[in-house]
Amino acid sequence: MARFSGGKAPFLRISDLDNQGTKTIMRDFMIGLLPVVLFAWYKNGIMVYIAGNITFLEMLYPLVFMFLGGFLSVLYEAIFFYVTDKEARNFKGLLAKVKVSYGLFPGLILALLLPLYTPIWVLMFGCFMATIVGKMLFGGFGYNIFNPAVVGRVAIMFTLLAVVNAAGGFMNGSEVLVDSYAGATPLTLFSISKQIDYQTIVAPYGNLWDFFIGTIPGSLGETSFLFCLVSYIWLSVRKVINWSTPLIYVLTVFILSWLIGIANGDAGIWFPLYSIFSGGVAFGAVFMATEPVTTPRNPLGKVFFALFIGALTVLFRFIGVYPEGVATSIIVMNIFTIPLDNVTASIRVLGVNKRTFGKLAFIVLLLVAVMVYAVLKSINMYSLSAFMIGGLI
Amino acid sequence: MVLRKAKGIHIDGRKGLSRDVPLEEYFHPHFVYIPLLQQNSPLKKMVEVGASVKIGQVVAMREGFGTMPIHASISGKVTAFKKVWHSSGKMIEAIEIENDNLNLMDDSIIPEINLENLTKEQLIQKMKDAGLSGLGGAGFPTYIKYQAKCPIDVVIINGVECEPYLTCDYMLMKKYPEKLLKGLSYFLKAANAKKGVIAFKDYNRPIREALEPLLSKYPRITLQGMKDVYPAGWEKFVVEQVTGKTYKKLPSEVGVIVDNSATAIAFADMVENNIPLISRVITITGEGISKPQNFHVPLGTKVSDLIEMSGGYRPDLDPKDSWYIAGGPMTGRAILIDDLIVNDTLGAVIVKPMPAPTLHPECLGCGRCSDVCPVFLTPTSIKNALDRKDVKLIKSLAADKCIACGLCSYVCPSHIEITDYVAKAKDLLAKGA
Repeated sequence: MARFSGGKAPFLRISDLDNQGTKTIMRDFMIGLLPVVLFAWYKNGIMVYIAGNITFLEMLYPLVFMFLGGFLSVLYEAIFFYVTDKEARNFKGLLAKVKVSYGLFPGLILALLLPLYTPIWVLMFGCFMATIVGKMLFGGFGYNIFNPAVVGRVAIMFTLLAVVNAAGGFMNGSEVLVDSYAGATPLTLFSISKQIDYQTIVAPYGNLWDFFIGTIPGSLGETSFLFCLVSYIWLSVRKVINWSTPLIYVLTVFILSWLIGIANGDAGIWFPLYSIFSGGVAFGAVFMATEPVTTPRNPLGKVFFALFIGALTVLFRFIGVYPEGVATSIIVMNIFTIPLDNVTASIRVLGVNKRTFGKLAFIVLLLVAVMVYAVLKSINMYSLSAFMIGGLI
Repeated sequence: MVLRKAKGIHIDGRKGLSRDVPLEEYFHPHFVYIPLLQQNSPLKKMVEVGASVKIGQVVAMREGFGTMPIHASISGKVTAFKKVWHSSGKMIEAIEIENDNLNLMDDSIIPEINLENLTKEQLIQKMKDAGLSGLGGAGFPTYIKYQAKCPIDVVIINGVECEPYLTCDYMLMKKYPEKLLKGLSYFLKAANAKKGVIAFKDYNRPIREALEPLLSKYPRITLQGMKDVYPAGWEKFVVEQVTGKTYKKLPSEVGVIVDNSATAIAFADMVENNIPLISRVITITGEGISKPQNFHVPLGTKVSDLIEMSGGYRPDLDPKDSWYIAGGPMTGRAILIDDLIVNDTLGAVIVKPMPAPTLHPECLGCGRCSDVCPVFLTPTSIKNALDRKDVKLIKSLAADKCIACGLCSYVCPSHIEITDYVAKAKDLLAKGA
């Protein structure tokens, strides 16, 4: 008679296979970031170097900047582990902790959310906010409520935006030389001009094709719809992200923007396209709205989450004081992730019946209310100002 | 609704280990142990130490819900009442019978003369007298299903066997297609049903090849191929695939009875020869077994005998770092001592080395457990509610719907025992309510 080991069913696990499990998901996610990272390098380094506006060493700077973001994050996490955890006081223990905490991502993604000429100390501050405040203080990987990278970005935008703007704003080495940009990204220009007019808000940057490719001013990783799309396809095929979430989010922004365009007298398809190609919609859709830890787990919750951030993005963008609304909408919805997850989980398992109908009706009504409010409110803002500016001219 | 379609997922079946070795019959174990437990009901012993018993003689009685007799599986002498390891994971008292190798049959085992004129009631009585219980794994007394008041349209034979590694049903169906069809036609008679369906996995072509030529004699019986997914053999899944209907608690709500293929084959013997439930097929398999194969054995046979006949453990097997699993790998139990006996619900014993332990990260919230759940639970939310002992929330998350298929733990990339958490939440709910 032999004594065997105990265990719990099931005795087969995907995570025990060689090329499966969380580390593979994280590796695939890293590969998914590559198109965006490489385009950021091309647009902010190589392209400017070819135009003859920067030196060879400066061409490498975008890569250094992005790497630094990731490195700082890992470093902060290592320090945090070392200080707070006795087991991590030796190299082996520390390595084990760092290995399953995936510290690279908050900093790397934060760097992609920032413009190239962000001062290094601002990046350091942002990484601190992202990694320590946004992630480790909540309990580390798997326990954070807010998307760490977005915490870092929002912290910078609400406190140090002037510093970032003074250091070069959202331009690359060539774009700062273009007078007509006047240091404004498309969305900033739109929030100043308050006009839904192709000539005013698209033409200064070229045409919609440039918006699609991403050769317009903006943060490192956010400008290219095309390369976010490439990442999206890879990540969906590898099943790292749920394919429907980015699609629903982008479609929501598209449709609401279209309605806002129509409500303001311009039914052109260019405006909703402009709306999803500019700012961080594509990047947010692929890398932030799908971030597993801070978004609902069940499929129905994911659908509602995407619809809500879509509605809020439009609301914040067109009604709020800041030109962009992607990061803010994600932060806001992160707060509601757990209740939304619980409620939608209940609806999903029980179906629509007496017990769940009220909950479902509440969520749907809230969603519709936000959407309707955003569209109606925009009529006032954009029609009126367009009328006023027209009157002045 | 797109969000609520249970598709199941494909799992590497590893059935090739034991599928191509012919079924071996082993009817002469030195001892058998008839456990005094069925499902959760303790049995009352009907014999004393020293008594001589014949094959098919009643030795114990299940009382209360599902009253029925339990029979001796070999002839010989009752030598002791002994505690043995049982597939439920506990030590259970059992009747030890020493084989006298005379194969004396009980007087009740005689060919049925009145085969053509058996009534529905007589058939159900035969199920009860023979102690027929579901051989698929649940061990539910079969006659109770047929006593139900609901009108039954369809009897489905579940030969899907979706658990990886297991090939016992496949073996039996391939070997006894005629008995399977006969068993099903008696079931149809017992249920007054019009239609019989035999469901099995599409890729099991030998079953189709064995059954198809015989079908002309059984006009009411059809075959249904199933996709190779887990949990395709789940009763609700089978009923949904075959009839397109879904039910809440029991298949009889939609006029369906589901029985395992091995149960049908055993029933054919019961009806025609009055042989009670005394044997079953068991798969001895896993990466830790030298020669994985299937055995047809009397109930109560020691599994260690069968492992010995399968060439024993592999020489490189270290029991301390291996599992000895009673049942399939998805829903079975790890048994600590390899002193198990074969009982009616034990379809397989799997011996396999444990994967090397690695450090796994926390739950990253990917939601794959929720994606695969065949009853649309969100296990992560249930786990969080359990951590806070929030019974109300667990209730609204319907943890009681869990069928313990194990898929959530199977897909979890962070190796979390999520199935177990949901089971605990279910227990908490049962206690709280």
